[in-house]
Amino acid sequence: MYNLFQRLGSITSLAMSMFMALLILISATTPFIPSNPTHEVTLHDVKTTTGRMVDPADRTSRSAEYARLTFDLDADLTSMFNWNTKLLFAYITADFESPGFDTNRIVVWDRIIRNTRQAKLRLRKNHNKYFLRNYAKTFENVRNANLTLHINPVPYLGIMYDKSMTTIPLDIPRPEKRASGA
Amino acid sequence: MELLSQAKKWGVRSLLIQGLTFLSVLTSAFMIWKGLSLFTNSESPVVVVLSGSMKPAYDRGDILFLHNGFNPIEVGEVVVYKLNEKPIPIVHRVMKVHTENESGKQYLLTKGDNNSADDRGLYNPGQTWIQRDEIIGRVKGFVPYAGMGTIWMNDYPYLKTVLLGTLCVMSLFGSD
Repeated sequence: MYNLFQRLGSITSLAMSMFMALLILISATTPFIPSNPTHEVTLHDVKTTTGRMVDPADRTSRSAEYARLTFDLDADLTSMFNWNTKLLFAYITADFESPGFDTNRIVVWDRIIRNTRQAKLRLRKNHNKYFLRNYAKTFENVRNANLTLHINPVPYLGIMYDKSMTTIPLDIPRPEKRASGA
Repeated sequence: MELLSQAKKWGVRSLLIQGLTFLSVLTSAFMIWKGLSLFTNSESPVVVVLSGSMKPAYDRGDILFLHNGFNPIEVGEVVVYKLNEKPIPIVHRVMKVHTENESGKQYLLTKGDNNSADDRGLYNPGQTWIQRDEIIGRVKGFVPYAGMGTIWMNDYPYLKTVLLGTLCVMSLFGSD
């Protein structure tokens, strides 16, 4: 009555429809799985320096101001791991306003957390992983600076969503005068 | 020769109807694709990840669903961008955003999670930032490894001809 191709065809189309329905259900429900992470960022020190070729990829870096942060981070993100979490991407950004620029956001530190064993973070006196400099050469006239911790869960399948933030104020000081030349 | 006699048996009208059905399937697929491009404001709302530079989050063969929209790009978002003179789209994370006051112009710097250096080495010579219009879209959803077929067909081009051939044969003899 029905040949092999017809049977294979109808099985395949049913499987495809079921797969699509499952995909939609998973994507729609994953962001609502509850979690209660705890996180705390403490800023110890900010040092601004200039006059050194800090970034070999940036030719203007000798005359630009670079800020170096020292911070602590305490976080327990184990509750953010559910059946559809592939990894957590945690990152700290420095946000500020500067003359001519409404928003400036720079990632200064990030880490990929792959499982619950790595999810208890306890960082002490860490420095920023990435260079912190303004688009302009100086941090002068920079306002409303703060540090924000974001956690981005990446699911095995489905929609990307952002969760969990904590913000602390950041104060970027004027660069210290260097005693001797470069 | 047997193909021709079979075609004659069906008659011109049924052949034309088959052709029309085939064309309408093709054009509705095209319309859906273009409609999706308009809705997401992205020239290519579904892409396949080609490199491993975003491991372990995205691996080669993952299908990404993009939505560009009109809002400014936010830091930490994973975006797909295509440089003005290069043909390959790249999917990386935005590490720095500077947004100008009046024009709303954005200066963006990206980096792959699996790379130690940022993307300035990949940009055009002399380019240190990328602009909003070089971004094809932000990654909103993904299906892992569903795009491996595209990667195989790119790596082994004879697979494309094999696939096309099988499709043609099946469509010719399919409506018995």
